Amino acid sequence: MSSIDEAQRSATEAIASPGDWLTGAQRIAAWRETRAADTNELDQERRRALSPNAVSGSHAGTAELSAPAMEVVHRTASDPGRLTRSWAAEQIAAIGEETYTELIGVTAIVTVIDRFQRAMGRPELPLPTPAAGEPMQVHPDDVGDIGAWVSQTVGPTTANVSRTLSLVPVTNQAWRQLVDTHYSHGAEFMNMQWDFPLSRPQAELVATRSTALNECFY
Amino acid sequence: MSGEANGLHIDLEGALDADHIGDVGVPASAELLAFTNAVELGRGDIDQTRAALAAAIGAEATTEAAAIIAIFNGLVRVADGTGIQLDDGVFTASITDRESLDINRFAGAANSADLHPAPGIPTAVHQLFS
Repeated sequence: MSSIDEAQRSATEAIASPGDWLTGAQRIAAWRETRAADTNELDQERRRALSPNAVSGSHAGTAELSAPAMEVVHRTASDPGRLTRSWAAEQIAAIGEETYTELIGVTAIVTVIDRFQRAMGRPELPLPTPAAGEPMQVHPDDVGDIGAWVSQTVGPTTANVSRTLSLVPVTNQAWRQLVDTHYSHGAEFMNMQWDFPLSRPQAELVATRSTALNECFY
Repeated sequence: MSGEANGLHIDLEGALDADHIGDVGVPASAELLAFTNAVELGRGDIDQTRAALAAAIGAEATTEAAAIIAIFNGLVRVADGTGIQLDDGVFTASITDRESLDINRFAGAANSADLHPAPGIPTAVHQLFS
């Protein structure tokens, strides 16, 4: 099994396990909703609209996810490039910044897993069975306001993209492992002429096109 | 930056243009861009573009390209979902490119609108994941 496949397997297991503030069942529910966003009528109508705010309607809550949690997952999955601070503030006021951040992280992780399977021409993985247990509920001591919408690790030595999920360490660990195996390759990231089958310029070209298509400013 | 280090002259505008499938100065550009567009937009057949890419760069490199597409679909979501700002040095170093390539039109630009960068901060993407 390649390191990429192994990382995908490990991330799948992590999503099915209790997280920071969400249970395994809630995290799997978020995975299900991330997939549903591909065809959900409201999500697709918002995507087509000049502004997503021009479309009325809302996502109903489920047994596992409240209505604001559903909104976070569906919007992040379907239209991430047009999220705004005021939208995030509304969701955070309803569910708290920790749960909000964990939902962002879970949506991102399962998107990576599903998109890789699609790119490789493989069938969608069956959703795993949630593991029992309670969330860790650990609030890190070293987080604060660094200008983002949620608290993140304070300190000048870490780049902003590396601390996006630092508020939720359990989810962040699974996320950072995916980033390392799929892209950054540890210390090799500093090497502009790295010795991997996909050259560094080829990797950056794919990354550039992909982020542009997703209208990501960062 | 990786283009310069490898002696390449990269057509950034072509790399960012969703309608452009062709050479942008990187080996196998056309195949890489066609595969990326197929996965992201459903433009073109994923299996066919993946096979064409594998013929050009090999199966292992193709798997790595699939992994890059996948992880950047996650990266855009954590970046845009948590509203991070550009790192100060990158903000400064990218002013011209962001304007000429029309990247400032993206909604996420609002998160960095009030940045006032201090000197001595990392200025390159390769310093972001350390």
